Amino acid sequence: MSPSNEPDDLHALAGEYVLGTLPMAEREAFEARLANDPELQKAVTAWEERFFPYTAMVDPVTPSDYLWPRIERSLNASATRVPQTVSRRAPHAHMPRSRWWHSLPVWRGIAGAGLAAALAMGVLLTNVTTAPATPEYMVVLLAPQTQSAGWVVQAANRQEIQLIPLGTFEVPEGKALEFWTKADDWQAPVSLGLVEPGQPLRLRLDQLPPLEDNQLFELTLEDDSGSPTGLPTGPIEFIGRAVEI
Amino acid sequence: MSERDMSETGKANTISTENGHVRPAQEFDYADALARCARGEHAALQQLYQQEGAKLLGVVLRIVKDRGMAEDIVHDACLNIWQRADSFDPQKGAARTWIFSIARHLALNAIRGRDREVSVDLDDPHELDDDDTFQQASRVTDAFDWQTGQRMDECLQQLETERRNCVLHAYVDGLSHAEIAAHTGAPLGTVKAWIKRSLLRLRECMA
Repeated sequence: MSPSNEPDDLHALAGEYVLGTLPMAEREAFEARLANDPELQKAVTAWEERFFPYTAMVDPVTPSDYLWPRIERSLNASATRVPQTVSRRAPHAHMPRSRWWHSLPVWRGIAGAGLAAALAMGVLLTNVTTAPATPEYMVVLLAPQTQSAGWVVQAANRQEIQLIPLGTFEVPEGKALEFWTKADDWQAPVSLGLVEPGQPLRLRLDQLPPLEDNQLFELTLEDDSGSPTGLPTGPIEFIGRAVEI
Repeated sequence: MSERDMSETGKANTISTENGHVRPAQEFDYADALARCARGEHAALQQLYQQEGAKLLGVVLRIVKDRGMAEDIVHDACLNIWQRADSFDPQKGAARTWIFSIARHLALNAIRGRDREVSVDLDDPHELDDDDTFQQASRVTDAFDWQTGQRMDECLQQLETERRNCVLHAYVDGLSHAEIAAHTGAPLGTVKAWIKRSLLRLRECMA
């Protein structure tokens, strides 16, 4: 028996959080409170345990072969983790800051920044060119850390793209920039070949499905003969998604 | 801490039980895998991924309904699990539940964040509809084959079918109140009241 409505409200709120029905602003407020409220943490854990068995209703979906290698690359990139030998961490101590590319919000942010930049560039380009061969798609490739634009991909149609440098890029000795693309439902990225820093490149995508909205483009740093595996192995230097103009 | 042969635990296959649910063929020690993640053993995360990757992707995809986004989220979930493994406390809950919670909440954040971008005012003018006034034209049937053989089944069983459907649409499909209302044809205020009351009844029943 509950003495008042207050505990009921707390448990109902925790339950709604676990179900996922809270709107984003309320989710964020709840999570902020959760971080420092052991009662609430207990309430949430209890709901997680109660509902967890019902994930069994969902059929498994085999991940693409590319997903684990991608996770592993991110793990290796964050290999600064210090083995826990001395102190036991208090629960809810600050977790080690994950690097930017682990963060979904950052990715969404980059996509948003790319969109804003693409729209701005689209305006600029249509103003500059007299015969407005308006590209159907545009991608602004940003340097992940600085979010500065390094390259633009323009597609006058869905089978032909142009990669245009916006500046120069220092490629370390023995390394090269490799250009990749992946649409949402492809299993893995496809190499579009090596790219000379500062040099524009025109490509026909005859071997690939037509360009689509949100298609990912990235430039990674690979050995100078290109990735040995046929998949990106090195760090992402520039990345962006296609936006329909 | 178990020092079991990694290759043995990592290769644990899954088998289907008579009711179609999948369970580990050998007991996979999730808490031990997390402890090894906390010590920085990549192999432990890989074993977790081999064990649960498809299940995690299934759960996330059901919520976000976009394959590329779902894989992004499973990627992020694995890194979150890796980074936060040392904050997992086996006294407070089961390791497997903890792992899935991380992935589910990333998925929920992604779709609820998207709802906000769309930023429609979903508030229903009929907010105050009494939750007992709603009558569906046809007989309400279960939207889910939800019996799992857990104790919670009995408590869900005690809910009216349409309320049970609301709760499971939220948990499994990641539907918002408004989406559940659209999906079931019940007014928004009714859906909200049903879910809240159902939660309280479930908690009481499980106590």
